[in-house]
Order: sequence, then C-alpha cells, then structure tokens
Amino acid sequence: MASPIIQLKNVTKEFKVLNRHEGLAGSIKDLFSQDYKIIRAVDNVSMDIMPGEIVGYLGPNGAGKSTTIKMMTGILKPSEGTIMCNGVVPYDKRTQNAQNIGVVFGQRSQLWWALPAIESFNILRDIYQIEEKKYKDMMNLYGSIVDMDALMHKPVRQMSLGQRTLCDILASFLHDPAVVFLDEPTIGLDVAMKSKIRELIKMLNKERNTTIILTTHDMGDVDALCQRIVIIDKGKMLFDDGIDKLTETFGAYRTLSLSLLSKKEKADEARMNELVQKVTDVLGSNISDKNAFTVSSRDDQIEILLDEKKTNVMKVLNYIQDESRIYDMHLNEISTESVIKKIYEGGLS
Amino acid sequence: MNMKKGILFYLRIYRKIVVQDIKSKMSYRADFIISMIGMIFTNICGALGFWLIFQRFPSIDGWNYNEMMFLYGFSLISATPAQCLFDNNWNLRIVVYDGSFIKYCFRPINLFFYYMSEVFDVKGLGQFLFGIIAVAYSWNKLSLPFHWYSLPLFIFMALSASLFVIALLNLASATCFWLVHSFFALQLSNTLRDFAKYPITIFGLTIRNLLTFVIPVAFMAFYPSMPFLRETQVQWQTYLTPVFGIFFLYISYKVWMKGALAYDGTGN
Repeated sequence: MASPIIQLKNVTKEFKVLNRHEGLAGSIKDLFSQDYKIIRAVDNVSMDIMPGEIVGYLGPNGAGKSTTIKMMTGILKPSEGTIMCNGVVPYDKRTQNAQNIGVVFGQRSQLWWALPAIESFNILRDIYQIEEKKYKDMMNLYGSIVDMDALMHKPVRQMSLGQRTLCDILASFLHDPAVVFLDEPTIGLDVAMKSKIRELIKMLNKERNTTIILTTHDMGDVDALCQRIVIIDKGKMLFDDGIDKLTETFGAYRTLSLSLLSKKEKADEARMNELVQKVTDVLGSNISDKNAFTVSSRDDQIEILLDEKKTNVMKVLNYIQDESRIYDMHLNEISTESVIKKIYEGGLS
Repeated sequence: MNMKKGILFYLRIYRKIVVQDIKSKMSYRADFIISMIGMIFTNICGALGFWLIFQRFPSIDGWNYNEMMFLYGFSLISATPAQCLFDNNWNLRIVVYDGSFIKYCFRPINLFFYYMSEVFDVKGLGQFLFGIIAVAYSWNKLSLPFHWYSLPLFIFMALSASLFVIALLNLASATCFWLVHSFFALQLSNTLRDFAKYPITIFGLTIRNLLTFVIPVAFMAFYPSMPFLRETQVQWQTYLTPVFGIFFLYISYKVWMKGALAYDGTGN
C-alpha cells in the first residue's frame, strides 16, 4: 500500500481567548486582564490521506474545519500532535510546503486583481519555477478542459464570480502540486457553473492524480466528487470513511412521504402542524423507541424519517392508516444531505 | 530544477509584476491623471508654504531659505523609494482586517517581498522630480561646491536616508498585526516625517535626541545633507547614517515578518 501524502496524528489546536467584560469599565479591565479561557478548536484529530484521493471535509460553521486546513497549509501550528504533508512538516517549512500545495479560497481570488489571468499565470510560472515544458503541458491540458481563450485575456476584476473561481482553480493546479485545498469552491455559483467547476476538479484530479481536500456546505459537491468524507464538529472527528458507508454507519434511514390531505383541503401551516402532531402521537403510542422516527412536514407532505433497524415501513403505514386516510405515498433513500444534517444536529452518533 | 531563490529570482518576478501593475494602472487613465495632478498640487503647496514662511523670516536659527529648500528637496528624494516600492503598506491594515491577507501566505516566496511587490506607486516619481528640482535650485543658489565625488556621495546619502523612511513606514503599518485601530500609527509616522524637512538644531535638546535616537527622523534629510550643506559642521551621526539605516530597516523587516507569520487569517 502506498504511504499517505498527508498524515495527521492526534492533532489538537487550542486558542487562548480573553474573557471580555462588558461596558467601558470592562474594557479597561480587559486591558490588564489575565483572565483567559482556552478554546479547543480541533480536538485530537487523526487521519491519513492517500495520494489521489478527493476527501470531503465537512462540518458546520465553527466546527474547526478551517483551523485544520490552516494547520495543514502551515499557517497555524498545532498545540499538540504532528502533521506531515508530502514529507514536510508544513508549519515548520512553510515556504517549502507552499511549493507542493495549491490553495483556493471560495470567494477570495488569489490572482492579481488588475491583471488578465494569463499574466497572473505567467508570474506564477516564475514564482513556482515551473519548467517551460511542464507549463505548456499544463496549459494544453487546461485548453482541453475549458475554453481558455475566453477566460485568459480578461482582467480578473472584470470576471464573473464563476470565471474567477475557474481561474483560481486552474491557477492552483498550475505548478502541479501534490495536494490542493479547495475551500467552498462552488459557493455563490449558479447550477451550471457549479457542475462545470465540479467537472473541472474531477478532471484535474484524474489527470494529475492530485490529492484534493475539499471543504464545502454543498452536498452536491460531495456527491459529485468525494469518495471519502471526514466530518468534524466542535473540533472532534465524527466520521471518516467512504461516502457509501455513511448511511450504513448512521442507521438504515429512509424517508417516507405521505399525502394525508385530499386535493380540496388547504395545506396551510396550522393544518400541517396539526397533522405532524397527530402522526407523532399515533406513532408514539405504537413504537416504544422514540429515536426510530422523526416527523416533519414539507409543503403538503408529511415526511417521516425512519430508522429501519428499529421499525419498518409497513408497520408505520399500518398505524397511520388506522387513524387517517393516505392519499399518496413515496419512499426515498435518505440523501447525503439529510444524514449530514442529522449528524450536525446531534441526532446521530 | 534550481530551487535556490536568489536576488535574481526576486528581481525577475518583481520586474514582471511591476510592468504589469503599471500597465494596468495606465488603463485607468482618469484615475492615473487625477492622482498625478493631486501629487503635483501637494508638492506645489508644500513648496509654497515654505516660501511664505521665508517671506516673513529671512532665516530660522541661522538657516536660510535656500538651505531649508535643500533639506526639503532631500527629504522628498529620500522618501521616494518608500513611496514607490513600499506603498502597499498603506493597504496592509485593510487586508489584514478583512482576512484577505491570508492569500499572501500560500506562496513559496518571501511574504514581505510578495506583499510589497503588488503595488508600484508611480506618483513617487513625480515627488522625486520635485525633490531633484528643489535640491538643484538651492545647490545653485547657495553656490555649494560641486566636487567629483559630490554626485555619488549624494546618491549614497539619499539611499541611506531612504532606508529610514522605509523602515518607519514598515513599522507603522506592521502595528495592524497587533492593534485593531492602527491607522493612527501610520498618520503619526507621516506627521513625524514632516520634521525631516527641518534642521534639527532649531529644536530643543530633548526633541533633538528624540528625533535622532528614538524616532530617527533626523536621518531622513538633516544628517545626510550636512556634507553638502555645511561641510565643516558634519557630525558623527552623518557617518553612521548608512549603518543605522540598514539596522533600522532590518529591525522593521523582522517586526513586520513576525506579525505576518503570526497572522492566522481570522483578523485580531
């Protein structure tokens, strides 16, 4: 087996934060205060990332994602534990590490704002000391994936967000780095551009076998790109496995959507809430394990998220049918999004 | 592949970035012309202020109009490198607070260089021109001797003096890595720089020492001008100008880098 390209061993990062006091008197007090509290942004995280993997690094805002990324890119030094990135300790050899990585931050372009993209690429070629032939090969590869002529000769400041992101991603792969960090690359983009960006990332990963660490809140990105996901919340790692294992690990969930109202009845909010309550009561009196189901409403549908390890669809349908007429029903596999949402909410663990 | 990044490596990148920067600035033609006009007016007003003062007082503490003009011109010249090459210091505060400074942290080149290379302020060249005119004019009016070594010495002294201006700017802007309201530091440094135009002998001893040892503004024009203005009154500080300049610049670079490397992208 190949050796990992990135290795995190028991990485913990703590920040010292001043306990702030309120008001003017408080501010003056803060000036001399030694009253610190320790915040653990990343708590004992370990992982091995293999060359060529695309890893989705997920977690709610403030979970410790960017802190981890900053440690992997060398901006921050872990309080405890060690990180190796491509044979280099990133926070000790920041410049050397920078030669081997590419970074894209969602909405912040790293290209020279006033320059056409091609000029930025030219400067990057010098900065990373990319050989003539390699540079040409890369540009040819890019040319085969995207329409470079339309993109390269326009100053970055005149580009749309989508074009800019595209250029930023191309720029981050230009020196053929071993690892590329993509932080929310599709944020704020329309559907067509999103899929274009995903296609590009996928192609570059395949062509250059580049390892990609992707943080995102868009499950579309995850479904399209990642074979493996790592979920972190409150600094702790909750999940690290193949995306196909996600549903297995977190229960055999399925979503049952029911129409309990005839076409004539108006599905206003009060009525739907009433129905949700009713269904919850019915199921509650029949199923002893309260974690087996979650009832909610979407438009005129009642949605029941079922854990099939604890109950089954037919039983649930029976209980409801005893009380109410079912006009229509659908049974869906749970989406990645719903699983992640449940994990964030702490419903699963 | 040769991975060693020597001065040639940096010079080549710098040239490339600056050429592009100037090209793109020219493309904002109105902006370019207006800022040029603004610069010319600022300097004319500065010179006018001088002239007005000397309409009333023929000399200040033994320093006449033309000598003062020389110092004024010298201070403009020595401020040119800081103005042209290190002007991005003025934006540092903004990119540090909004978090975009982090983009400079991911490149395999010197952070300070990378950040400064982004802006080349052409306006500085206009200022330089004014400085040259002021010095040449007063040199002529004062009938100062012009030896074979005068020009190289002048260039050497002006460059040495410029190190202080750069260093002061670096230090003032680097305060934003630690302070939230750091603009006052930049303003203060600008105000202090105004003292460079005056011969420090007109101040009391306390201020004189302050401007020599604490905030070395006197090295920006006064001490390095002495060999030309008053050859017989050259003090030891004049000889130490290049050494102090390098030292002060080095300190400012270290402080700047310390702040930059501690930066973690979340602001303060």
